[in-house]
Amino acid sequence: MKPRIAFFDFASCEGCQLQVANLEETLLDVLRLVDVVSFREVMKEHADDYDIAVVEGSIARPMDEERIRAIRARAKLLIALGACAHLGGVQRLGNRWTPEQNKKAVYDGADGNDIGDNNPFFEKPRHRALDEVVKVDVVIPGCPVNRDELARVLVALLTGRRPPIPDYPLCVECKKKENVCLFTIGKVCMGPVTRAGCGAACPTYGNECEACRGFISHPHADAQIDVLRKHGLTPEEILSRQTLFTARHLEQQGKVS
Amino acid sequence: MSDIHIHVEHLTRVEGHGNIVLNARNGTIEQVQWQVSEAPRFFESFVRGRPWHQLSHITSRICGICSIGHALASLKATEAAFGVAVSEQTAVLRRLALHAENLQSHILHVGYLVAPDLLGVGSVFPLLQSHPDAVRKIVRLHRLANEMSDLLCGRTTHPITLVPGGFSAIPSAKQLKEIRQRLLDAVPVTNDIAQLVLDCAGALPAFARETEFIALVDDDEYALYDGMIGSTDGGRFPVADYASVANEFVVPHSTAKFTRHRRASYMVGALARFNLSAARLRPMARQWAEKFGLRPVCHNPFMNNVAQLVEFVHSLEDSVYWIDYLLKRGLDTAEAPAKFKARAGRGVGAVEVPRGILFHDYTYDHDGTCERANCVIPTNQNHNNINQDLAAFAPTLLQKPEKEIERSLEMLVRAYDPCISCSTHLLTVRFVR
Amino acid sequence: MPPERAGGRQPETPQGMGGVPLTRAVGSPRPDSPEGWLAMKILTRTDFHAFVNALIRDSGMEVEGVKAKGLKYAFGPLETAEDLRLDYDVTILPPKKYFLPQYETMMTFDLANPFAARQPDFPARRVLIGVHPYDIAALRQMDSYFLDTEMSAAYLKRRKNTLIVGSDVLSVPERAFFGCMGTGTVPSGFDLFLTDLGEKVAIEIGSEEGARLLRFAAGLREATPVDVQKVKALRASAASKAMRGLKVRPQGWHDLLEKNFDSPVWSEQSARCLGCGTCTLVCPTCFCYDVQDDINLDLRTGERRRTWDGCLLRQFTEVGSGEVFREDITDRYRHRFHRKGRYLPDRLGFVACVGCGRCGMQCIADAADPVLLINRLFDVSPHLVEESVMDPQTVRTDLREIASPEEVRPLHLPSPATVVRVETLTDRERLFEIALDNGRPLGHAPGQFVEVSLFGTGEAPISVASHPGGPTFELVVRRVGDVTTRMHALKAGDKVGIRGPFGRGFDVHALKGRNLLFIGGGLGLAPMRSLINHVLACRDDFGEVSILYGCREPREVLFRDEVAAWAKRPDLQHKKTVDRCPNDVPWDGEVGVITTLIPRIRFDPRGTVAIIVGPPIMYRFVIRDLLKLGMPERNIIVSLERRMKCGVGTCGHCQIHGICVCKEGPVFNYADIKDLPEAFA
Repeated sequence: MKPRIAFFDFASCEGCQLQVANLEETLLDVLRLVDVVSFREVMKEHADDYDIAVVEGSIARPMDEERIRAIRARAKLLIALGACAHLGGVQRLGNRWTPEQNKKAVYDGADGNDIGDNNPFFEKPRHRALDEVVKVDVVIPGCPVNRDELARVLVALLTGRRPPIPDYPLCVECKKKENVCLFTIGKVCMGPVTRAGCGAACPTYGNECEACRGFISHPHADAQIDVLRKHGLTPEEILSRQTLFTARHLEQQGKVS
Repeated sequence: MSDIHIHVEHLTRVEGHGNIVLNARNGTIEQVQWQVSEAPRFFESFVRGRPWHQLSHITSRICGICSIGHALASLKATEAAFGVAVSEQTAVLRRLALHAENLQSHILHVGYLVAPDLLGVGSVFPLLQSHPDAVRKIVRLHRLANEMSDLLCGRTTHPITLVPGGFSAIPSAKQLKEIRQRLLDAVPVTNDIAQLVLDCAGALPAFARETEFIALVDDDEYALYDGMIGSTDGGRFPVADYASVANEFVVPHSTAKFTRHRRASYMVGALARFNLSAARLRPMARQWAEKFGLRPVCHNPFMNNVAQLVEFVHSLEDSVYWIDYLLKRGLDTAEAPAKFKARAGRGVGAVEVPRGILFHDYTYDHDGTCERANCVIPTNQNHNNINQDLAAFAPTLLQKPEKEIERSLEMLVRAYDPCISCSTHLLTVRFVR
Repeated sequence: MPPERAGGRQPETPQGMGGVPLTRAVGSPRPDSPEGWLAMKILTRTDFHAFVNALIRDSGMEVEGVKAKGLKYAFGPLETAEDLRLDYDVTILPPKKYFLPQYETMMTFDLANPFAARQPDFPARRVLIGVHPYDIAALRQMDSYFLDTEMSAAYLKRRKNTLIVGSDVLSVPERAFFGCMGTGTVPSGFDLFLTDLGEKVAIEIGSEEGARLLRFAAGLREATPVDVQKVKALRASAASKAMRGLKVRPQGWHDLLEKNFDSPVWSEQSARCLGCGTCTLVCPTCFCYDVQDDINLDLRTGERRRTWDGCLLRQFTEVGSGEVFREDITDRYRHRFHRKGRYLPDRLGFVACVGCGRCGMQCIADAADPVLLINRLFDVSPHLVEESVMDPQTVRTDLREIASPEEVRPLHLPSPATVVRVETLTDRERLFEIALDNGRPLGHAPGQFVEVSLFGTGEAPISVASHPGGPTFELVVRRVGDVTTRMHALKAGDKVGIRGPFGRGFDVHALKGRNLLFIGGGLGLAPMRSLINHVLACRDDFGEVSILYGCREPREVLFRDEVAAWAKRPDLQHKKTVDRCPNDVPWDGEVGVITTLIPRIRFDPRGTVAIIVGPPIMYRFVIRDLLKLGMPERNIIVSLERRMKCGVGTCGHCQIHGICVCKEGPVFNYADIKDLPEAFA
């Protein structure tokens, strides 16, 4: 009996689920291994009994909390897919304001209309990672996830192994690719504290790593800050890099609220 | 006539979460509602305080499918605010990136999301058994589009190489030649798929409601990357004046911003672009439009699917054209992004993404920190039109069995290829007659 | 001011600090070359380009050379001679990537028939153009290293298939110090050697292969004395620029590092280290690697892959149970320098650093530069640094002249074996009785271990728990990670792969006639049992025997029946204990930590040998108590656990300082390792 797998999304751009479609021909191989019983984005059919739930997106409102709890109760294994589910996504940056302040900023000139007060879909949005609400079994990090990593994790789970997600910095992958290190050409990068597994995608194409995969479990954060300072970044500039995707880590360390 | 209660919760085969509600009693519609239940993420709020170099990276996360388009609109807004001019090579490469996105998005929509409706099944999965060859071809085209995006942008979803002023990495002439050949090789496959859609195009309802169509227009090309705002009701507007066209407003009991120009609503997307620029399509694309009987100005929203297919062919041809142009002119793989200094200012950028015209409007302070942002998303602009269409279409269906009504309403919404997470706003409309 | 030297002559010229002259007189006799002379030829630049183009077009070999990569340089395939940049300073990655690739498929397998695993084909013949002298020196160090361990056929074949065309340094890398390391020139190790003189290129022939390569060149003429002079001047200039004020020459590094093991300099310098692994990855003399299994989406086929690893990464010393043996960045940072400046020199006779400057240049935190580190150590300890007589250039090994790949047995290919019996010992541990399919006994000594291989999942090192002899052997496996979890699902008749036996076991011969005190903790009883049962089988060969055994709780006791039988034997003393005993669990032994058992038995501390195997925490306390009783250090034998991967001393994971646990252990005499801080951390 093939394991039954269901895909869900919450507050997200659906880019991670798109990576499933982007598996292209490999997707056809994956479909031989599992039974997709629910995947709203591509199919009408839906079943409530599944073994594995793959969830993208952050949890924003009470109705979302309810939905994820129901999913958690039904699934034997819950996989958080991507940065929104893992860390809260970029939208977590909005948490520094109240929902009212956010609404006002977006609906500027809305002029007294009841923006959301009567609309349950707007109830108290505040973005959280999945594991701030339910227990998560596996995290596939990244924004978006790397589709090869997604396939590898599935294969590992189906063959009784722990998901092969590295816990060493991006630098390892960059060096193995013989990339020109951005620090050696006057730029900066969050690679040294960020979890590898994406093949150092951004530095490979000349852009600094933005830590979308989250920090490694034991980052040398102070040393990284020192390096960024030596490269001329102000504390604000450093903070802007640390909070873009990884505000959650800083919150956990008590460095921001 | 019996009462009808249709509540499609979390419409499938669309990007994002939306509900369709239809209540009719004794042949009269009491309520037709297109609800978007997507959780708001408030991009326009939380980009405040972010440095300019992060803006396009953040706003590309508005959407997973048209992230290249968002990134480009974002970059153009920033460049407009700082007074940055990009090189010709950059402009060409950006056109290619947009084509890659169009190819990817349109084949995904037509192949995975719409074809099942045309062939009477619930998803693409049964088609793996009934039409394995066609599915393989669709997958192959989708992969080609993704590989073209990878080549130009480093990644399809959330592009890497697109930066203010240009590109952080540029493919080699050899790589461009390679992708060019693969585009040409894809033509017969594309024709097969187009023929398949043509063969079941009869399943598309013949519905029409006159509305206004808005898209970027340009005299010399089928505008996607650059142009002025054009309308089927006439007139051309500079992109910087988008607010006067889009006219975002809030209605009671709605949390979505509506847009309205001269009529109650307007439509954006492939059909809008076709209606405004059909004459500037490349030859093969024009031939396919002809075969489908698609002519401007077409007011049948279901034909948006066909327009997407036509645009797919066009993007294929136009990509080859621009690659040839670059190779002939000489490619500078070491060209660095244009130099500039961040400064206080406001700028608007507009591009056509697969689902329609997209505006990003940023205001920066003197050190390049974002103070204010406004994004007008294609699907937002379509929400109002969708409602108007539902209101006009639903009454024509009341005689049919409920399952068929439901399916037809779903197909209508799907035809718009809505990108609901993009639209980030919510909408509840009640029509009570 | 130059440091004082003990012995060692003062250099006369600024050529360098070593005894080896930095410029070799071209045309003078070279010890290695068959003719005793190295002929130098000259090509015009145009003809040189034609030569390279001819190689690319006509030689049938893959032609790789140094090319520009953005603002830096890297070795890569040459499409035309114009790509070649002999004026480069240093490449991002050293040529080691050609011989020990970043990712290397060691074997592909089909789970339906895994032992028919295929080893991949090896690369076609190729030539590397532009290899700097320090990199050639590094290749020879690499040869030495792999020769010392079990030879890898893959590595050997790659070396034999690759021609080396060296070239002189024209642009000295910013952080290079090869002038001090004696690697500014190399006496051999290349097939051809180029010096780019601008309008001309000088070519020295280093081997017969090299001479044959020149058949693709037209317009060769003999070098004139003027040409030779230019080459000499160029080399002297490069070497003199690559000094950087290093205060201690390599001959003194060993002493400097040894004397400063506990210096605060280590934590001071490592404070800014990011633990990113860059220094080891870009280093031409770093060879540590990891091995991983991958399964494809068909869930049937897969591969076992080798990939670069580095001791600066935290997981480098992490074992299945989650314990990390070098957790502190200071320890890891210090280890790298000691490996290069002390442990490898002890083992192989040279300092494993060629002064290329890659680590210094690419370390983001500027913590890796050996010059800065060595100088800092010297500054805080300017007392006399004793030099060893080692010559940094003692490496004479050229693997291409040694052995043929066909003579080398496949190093990493496991032997097929079958599970004969499975017994559940506790809720976490199972015993497996295994027989090699070839019918032969394992042939192990007590205390040795095997690598159990499960294709698609990986390998795990497991101590052999049965005594030698007999057609089968026994393993006790605790379920902690992927491999052991999969093992626990095995049934009789299932197949596994076995590599080994590895390591140094208990010296049974030396123990004959001695009084023995066994002290086992938890899972440590498993390897000890191989010796205990051997002793009990030949009881008369040994003196007094005592066995002390401790676990955390009664349910963790292994081999209950055997343990119970010991209590009944009149010819040995036995006591067992648990750290704690839950109320409702029957237990007929003591309660308390294992050290509480030591006073409870009668033995002569001075005349007894203690054999101790247990969890890391146990050793410190047990050994302390035994020493207090007057037991000589040399009477204490331990078996230590580390992360064992290759089993043959190559991959680097199991090092305790310079000691390879998989080769020189896991059994150690305490007296030999008592001063190693890392051993009993």
